[in-house]
Amino acid sequence: MSDTAKEEKIIGQLRRILEESSTTEPDWDNFGRNSTIESLGLDSLTILDLLYDIEEEIGVHLEAKEVLNITTLGELVDLLIKNGA
Amino acid sequence: MVARGAANVWWVFDRKRQIVGRDNVIRSGIETDPKKARAIAKKAAHHMAIVVVESLRSTDFLSDEDTTDHLVLDIKPDVLAVMQDPEQSLIIASGHFGNWEVAGHWVSRFKPVAGITRAMNNPLIESMVKKRKSRFQFRPIPKHDSNMGRFLEVLDNKEFLALLFDQHAGDYGMMIDFFGHPASTFKTPAMLHLVTRTPLCFASCRRIGPMKFEISTSNLIHQPRSGNKNEDLKGILDSLNRDLEAAIRKDPTQYLWGHRRWRD
Repeated sequence: MSDTAKEEKIIGQLRRILEESSTTEPDWDNFGRNSTIESLGLDSLTILDLLYDIEEEIGVHLEAKEVLNITTLGELVDLLIKNGA
Repeated sequence: MVARGAANVWWVFDRKRQIVGRDNVIRSGIETDPKKARAIAKKAAHHMAIVVVESLRSTDFLSDEDTTDHLVLDIKPDVLAVMQDPEQSLIIASGHFGNWEVAGHWVSRFKPVAGITRAMNNPLIESMVKKRKSRFQFRPIPKHDSNMGRFLEVLDNKEFLALLFDQHAGDYGMMIDFFGHPASTFKTPAMLHLVTRTPLCFASCRRIGPMKFEISTSNLIHQPRSGNKNEDLKGILDSLNRDLEAAIRKDPTQYLWGHRRWRD
């Protein structure tokens, strides 16, 4: 699978996770690498929920402290790829 | 004596808390007679004032190597093993029961303990409390500055994170039965356990005599990940609430009944 295809797959998986769990209404039309974590309705408390879902859906365990430092969806995708997604 | 006097004054003037406290005792099912429930709530108000004085006075005996005159310990072996392991951190979940300050300072003899603290309303008492805390390996996290980054740092340093989970959690909480009635319960200890795999236990510290306490823990809480986050969370939070209820039933006069835990 090409890097682009891999990225697109992960972004799709993340979107499904967030669609199910988000309590806010993110801008789905512009959902992509440049979406900020804040705009997705995630904060330091809800990010743990996301990490649980990522591990179940994508099968990758991420260190919570690493995820807290990221600001965009693109950085999260890169971190997932780096950790074997 | 001064603590009891201050608590009496507070009790007389804060009628709203009197009613909340009495109604909470009745709702818990611990006492159904309104007069007896009110008496429990009043004793609980006294208890909270005594907690402050005890916490200040306990400095000396907590510094001693031998604490047997003041502490009875019931620490489960699996929890003790984690406490003594320099390579492991531990999440200690507790409620506003007994003297959680004494427990926090006792456990800091193993390794540093971090917990969320709220400043005392009285600046003089706040100054005394701060001075005392600095004598132990207790690292207060001010309530306004408590965030996941701070919690993760504590766990990453292989220290203890002490969290009181029994206040109304609002929208972030999960509805879990507390004495048979749904109450919004903080998910933080459970989520931290599920995501970071840090061991988790319940702990309480009950007064059993003047300046004498029983510190007890549950076994480590093992909640295997089922893939259903809400089920896993519910399993852990149910367990924590049951442990807290059991502690409170041992002495209902040592619980913070004045807090509006149930908001329906």
